[in-house]
Amino acid sequence: MASASLLQTAQTQVERAIQRNLKGLGYLGSAAPVLGASPKDTIVSRGPMRLYHYHPLVDEVYRVPVLLVMATTNRGYIFDMVPGQSLVEFLLLRGYDVFMLDWEAPRPEDRALDLKAYVEDFVGGAITEVQRGTGENDVSLVGYCMGGVLSTLWSGLNHDRGPKNLAVFTTPVDFKAMKLFQAWSDPRYFDVDRLVDTLGLAPAEMLLASFDMLRPAGRASANFQLYDNLWNDEYVKGHRMFDRWSNDMLPLAGEYFRETTKLLSWENRLVEGTLKIGGRPVELDKVICPFLHVTAEHDHIVTTEASAPLIELIGSEDKEQVVLKGGHVSLIAGPNAVKRMWPKLDSWLGAKSV
Amino acid sequence: MSDASAFDPLGLARQWMAQWEKLANEHGTELLARPEAVQAMQAMTSAAVKVQAVSNEATGRMLAAANLPSRADIDALGQRLASIEAALGRIEDRLRSGDATPSRPAVRRTRKPPRPTTA
Repeated sequence: MASASLLQTAQTQVERAIQRNLKGLGYLGSAAPVLGASPKDTIVSRGPMRLYHYHPLVDEVYRVPVLLVMATTNRGYIFDMVPGQSLVEFLLLRGYDVFMLDWEAPRPEDRALDLKAYVEDFVGGAITEVQRGTGENDVSLVGYCMGGVLSTLWSGLNHDRGPKNLAVFTTPVDFKAMKLFQAWSDPRYFDVDRLVDTLGLAPAEMLLASFDMLRPAGRASANFQLYDNLWNDEYVKGHRMFDRWSNDMLPLAGEYFRETTKLLSWENRLVEGTLKIGGRPVELDKVICPFLHVTAEHDHIVTTEASAPLIELIGSEDKEQVVLKGGHVSLIAGPNAVKRMWPKLDSWLGAKSV
Repeated sequence: MSDASAFDPLGLARQWMAQWEKLANEHGTELLARPEAVQAMQAMTSAAVKVQAVSNEATGRMLAAANLPSRADIDALGQRLASIEAALGRIEDRLRSGDATPSRPAVRRTRKPPRPTTA
């Protein structure tokens, strides 16, 4: 019995070794997977802002449309990877009318876009477009990472008019708790003014290097795991999707980068309650709409210490904080998200969308 | 059971890699957070930015001497184009809102959440 099992294991290992070699060659020569392909209309294309409206997949949708707000450093197709692994498709099939605020790389002439432009013109502008397109005054905002920050800031500035529901994922609020980013942007050594005044934009390569340095061994380990799993088509497909997305970073508009560095990272004004945008205070204690904050247990980018205080700052009585298994990215996309976060979002949002 | 797992030739490498990754991440981030490391990193960034600034200035002077537009001139043109783009966007929006024939059949916005199932 034991020898039969041993023989079978040996056979499996030999087959996998052959598959690794064959598929390794295929991997190098094959085309990248097509991502973000759910049918959609581009409603607004202005500067780095893109507003998409996804084609409904059911005849009857919830009254309240959903606006997904993507993080400004990455592209929104993380919400729409491939059929079966797309949050957008999941929400469409569950009966939501889905919009997404996504970003393109800002151009040199976009250097003057500041925090106010991102919050009021882009998030606010997107909400106005969704309201106009659907004929509904109510809109649910769902933001990821810095998209969550922008959604929260808009809600704190415009608490008298919405949103209907606010759900954010892995959203930092106490920037002093992001120890590594704090160390790397130490004002004694990091001259953000010189960088922005000289380059105009914060380069994507610099941002990518910062994220990579959070896990210095991450890339080597990922490559080893890829080799180990080359026989496994599903693993390779998932690796390619996430690898492409994580390397597909966007530069940031200079003034926006300068303000987020100074006001949020150095002065920590969001958690201190002293942040003003365009001269108006961001009043999170006056945000009284239903609020959900989902964080990841093993998030190495936005640590629990950085995201956890948000729930206390929000004034709503109907608020919930959930910590799910997973990391910063696996919380929102991939098999972990399909199993955990997506059903949680649907069960929370569905009853509040009529 | 132990025979089968012992026959995995990549098993040891896997274990070693997991341990190495944990240690390298822990010590690597610790090292990179030290003030001297941050100072060195930012000094390099600052030097690169300075080089770019000097290069931009020199290139600007050369282009001006050759009667060619500088990056700032192109940026200014870009800004004018962006404002034209924005104006076109607004015109498109008005045209769209005035279009009475939707491209797809309208959906009903009357959906209700499924009733919770009781065990």
